[in-house]
Amino acid sequence: MRKHHVLTVVVLIVLVAMGASAALARQDTTLTLMGWSSSQAEDAALAEQIAAFEEANPGITVDVNLVPDYDTTLQTTFASGDPPDVFYIDSSKLADLVEAGVVDIGGDKIENPEGFYESLVNVFTYNGEFVCPPKDFSTLTLQYNKDMFDAAGLEYPTDDWTWDDLQAAAEALTGTNEAGQEVLGLILNPNLERWLPFLYQAGGSVLNEDWSEVTVDTEEAREALDFYTGLVQDGYAGTASAVDAGWAGEAFGMGRAAMIMEGNWVINTLLDQFPDINWGVVQLPGHPDGGEATMTFTVCYGVAADSESQEAAWTLVNYLTGEAGGQLVAEAGFGPMPPRTALADPWLAARGEEIGQPFVDAAETAYPWSFPVGFGDAIDTFNASIQLAFEGQATADDVIFEMGAAAEEVLAR
Amino acid sequence: MTSALDSQQVAGSGGRSIIRTAFAGLGWGVLIMFALIEILPFVFTVANSFKCLPAVQRFPAALIPSFSTSECVNEEGRPLPADEVANEVTFSPTLQGYDEIFDAQLPRWFFNTAFVAVIITVLRLAIDSLAGYALARIKFPGNRLFFFVILGTMMVPVIVLLIPRFIILKQFGILNTYQGLILPLAADAFGIFLMKQFFESVPGEIEEAAMVDGASRLTMFLRVILPMATPALTALAIFSFQGAWNDFLMPLIILSGNRELWTLPVGLAFLRGAYGETLRWHAFLAGSVLTTLPLALIFFYFQRYFVEGISYSGLKG
Amino acid sequence: MATAVQAKQQPGILTMAAKRRQEAIAGLTFMLPAMIIFLIFLIIPIGAALYISFTDWNGISPVLEEGAYDYVGTANYSDLLRGYHVEDGREVSAAIRQRDFFIALKNTVYYVIGVVPVQTLIALVLAVIVNQRWLKAKGFFRTAFYFPSITSSVVISLIFMFMFSRGGLVNQAIGGVLAGYSDNYINWLDDPRGLVHLILEPLGVTRASAGSWAGNRTLGLTGWEWISGPSITLLTIMILNVWTTIGTMMIIFLAALQNIPGHVYEAAAIDGANAWNVFRKITVPLLRPTIFFVVTLGLIGTFQVFDQVYVISSGGPAKTTLTVAYMVFQNGFDRSAMGLASATALVLFVIIFTFSILQRVVVRERAD
Repeated sequence: MRKHHVLTVVVLIVLVAMGASAALARQDTTLTLMGWSSSQAEDAALAEQIAAFEEANPGITVDVNLVPDYDTTLQTTFASGDPPDVFYIDSSKLADLVEAGVVDIGGDKIENPEGFYESLVNVFTYNGEFVCPPKDFSTLTLQYNKDMFDAAGLEYPTDDWTWDDLQAAAEALTGTNEAGQEVLGLILNPNLERWLPFLYQAGGSVLNEDWSEVTVDTEEAREALDFYTGLVQDGYAGTASAVDAGWAGEAFGMGRAAMIMEGNWVINTLLDQFPDINWGVVQLPGHPDGGEATMTFTVCYGVAADSESQEAAWTLVNYLTGEAGGQLVAEAGFGPMPPRTALADPWLAARGEEIGQPFVDAAETAYPWSFPVGFGDAIDTFNASIQLAFEGQATADDVIFEMGAAAEEVLAR
Repeated sequence: MTSALDSQQVAGSGGRSIIRTAFAGLGWGVLIMFALIEILPFVFTVANSFKCLPAVQRFPAALIPSFSTSECVNEEGRPLPADEVANEVTFSPTLQGYDEIFDAQLPRWFFNTAFVAVIITVLRLAIDSLAGYALARIKFPGNRLFFFVILGTMMVPVIVLLIPRFIILKQFGILNTYQGLILPLAADAFGIFLMKQFFESVPGEIEEAAMVDGASRLTMFLRVILPMATPALTALAIFSFQGAWNDFLMPLIILSGNRELWTLPVGLAFLRGAYGETLRWHAFLAGSVLTTLPLALIFFYFQRYFVEGISYSGLKG
Repeated sequence: MATAVQAKQQPGILTMAAKRRQEAIAGLTFMLPAMIIFLIFLIIPIGAALYISFTDWNGISPVLEEGAYDYVGTANYSDLLRGYHVEDGREVSAAIRQRDFFIALKNTVYYVIGVVPVQTLIALVLAVIVNQRWLKAKGFFRTAFYFPSITSSVVISLIFMFMFSRGGLVNQAIGGVLAGYSDNYINWLDDPRGLVHLILEPLGVTRASAGSWAGNRTLGLTGWEWISGPSITLLTIMILNVWTTIGTMMIIFLAALQNIPGHVYEAAAIDGANAWNVFRKITVPLLRPTIFFVVTLGLIGTFQVFDQVYVISSGGPAKTTLTVAYMVFQNGFDRSAMGLASATALVLFVIIFTFSILQRVVVRERAD
């Protein structure tokens, strides 16, 4: 019995030693990449990229770990000192992570930075330094159900639509379907990031340019809020849960909503899960006085400050966001758009112009979704009060007051 | 008080039996109503787990399966509309939801959960009964203190422990492993409390007799006391298994980085977010059925011991 | 010395002392495995949480490395309870944190007050009926009531989301009974309106008409917000909780009821006591320890409600299902404020502890 134990241990030690020396000889590096999955098409494209990278870089293997509840998981790996080498950073989380000192600042390590959209570089520039190269981006546009517009005898929306057109169409399209189920003209989320386009269109803002002052308490903000919550109060718009859906894209796919304002991620959902829906895309409607704006949501590839293989990690990141690596994703043509201007055409070709072009064009008037450290508190406060406004339990003044006070407090911290 | 009772007695047995029948009728009514409230959701869950997704959304109340099964899609692979696969009363059964959840690695979660739950149960049976016995029967310094510490920990919100536990597991190098999931739950305050209560109800003479024979505490515990504790142990085993099977918060934090080790509750909760918040009810409900089934079988098989266990273990106070 | 000599003379005492030592060793050995687990995974983490609550750790920076956090004294507790803290002689406002904490506390208290008495009462009534001698099919009812208790909270949450969605079974059922309801389905899972507000509205009491107290802020919340009652969505989660736990509670009551000797009831029957009096004068007093146990379990469980909120509502709509436990999670893992989260968790611990002691005292006094 005892002898067996000794033998086992010896064998194990020998094996491990052999493995280790072999690894040392080839200088094998294993990188971990943590991210989240937004569609199977995206997972497949990423796997293809990784395979190509591993082939081009013998000695580096990449362990891809796509996790749900991403923020929590990422945070715990940092806190315990065992972070992934490479990970996704959402633009809204950049400030928090950089301030926590867990991100390796890219700077000169990022190859060919001039090839990225300038606006994306700006989003991921913090304290004057380009932190991490963008992975892809999405813009918000208006999706509409062509069959419902036909049935109601309405003209399809155009890029020149204004708030008034949106309101009129939402009113006309709200009703019931053949199955007797409620159909909403428009799905609206009680979220800051979905209301912001309307604020920007009206000429307002939440913070000034350098994030030093709160600028939300304006007539423009009131106008944008009254319009947004008014649609819900009048019954032409509502949240996805009002029509038994988990989110707007699902409500639209189920035929329970005539119009939604979603980003590129909705494309794959609609094509894969709801192929029978006959839909079109245009720019978000603009302010009656001509103001146009939308939002862009973007993610970058960050390298951990504590990574033991930073050099290899940057090689990987530069490949994934470079033109050659990016080509693979662009040609897959799934939801979000590639971050480099040179890849826009391959993406459009794969995606098809009818669906793809409005998302590309929206980038021209898009504002980034990024805020200073700790701003989550203010965003939450806003979301809670706009939800009450949806129910008629808060006025525009209430919402703006709460938002302003919360934002002031966060900036003063 | 007495007069009131007297007057009732005077009212005679005829009136009493009418009241009694009315009372029994009311009792039956209440019980049946609550039994329906408690059971119907499961009936609907099972029925809807066998429907095509559009049918779940439009005809959730249909309970009767028709004889013809459905693939939920037409020749071109497009989903069939709700009224072709169901109506208000009947539906064409399908395994679509089960297929989907099996593709999502449910068998793996199932194994993980079962494995972890069994080990935790075994460990708790050993550790909790030893500690419960010591607290109930052995005089040693700190006996009272230990008891109050253990009782006090029952009131600590689990959420407090998350991050420190995470760091400790990391220091031991057992994050994202089965051990990391098992060890923190290898003993629990409720189980120790339960066993202590039980052992206190065991008559002291039995031990004294064994003592006279010169048996050591351990021998006596293993040979004499433990065999008597079967009902309490069974109750503890079921509580532990159920708790470990359903535990959510700790695995959520500890395992989220390793898909291979997910347990059923974690897998199910994440499945909800896996489609960008899309509500794929047929799959969620299929997963719910499969998560509940093993516990249901164990419960039906052991429920007699279980109820006995609670009453033996002196939870009466 | 003297005692040793004495001991030699009196072998009986020596054996006693040796025996006592043996017992002590046996006792500690028996306790050892449990104490190791408790020490590593409960006591040390609690100590660590206490320590973290006095720091500004963001929960991201590697905690074991230098400079991951600064010691901030009681600032986190001050933020939560007073809405500001003093830093370098400057008052730093934390009104949002105070407000969030008291919103969470308000929601949690409504939750506890709503759930614990209702589940205890229903469980007790069901147990008493099931315990009646005339009842047939006891086993069936026991199983039916207990079954939901064995089911995972995540599964129950999913099932309730399914049942309570706006076009779901619950609304369809109500619509089938209540004419006119079908045009006006309640959106159970996404409705921030408070129950008390909804009751007051038809009576003509609104925030505007209620008077000045409704607008005055205490601890970050206006009077009108304080009296809101649980929101419709929180109410749904409360129903879920009651629905799940009455089975466990009933089984515990049933076990206790079966331990009440039959002759107690027989004596009462001879005295001619009616069912209500038997229940009030005999059953309830004899069950007092069990009631204490069940209520304690209920308090501990409901104060920590997390899983259901995580799966169903994530604290929304409009923070009306934000519970203290969920707030800990949110601040710790989403808002990069682990120090604050730890402080919140410890305040929650103090609250649970106080309530448990308080109700123990109440039950005791009633007994005397």
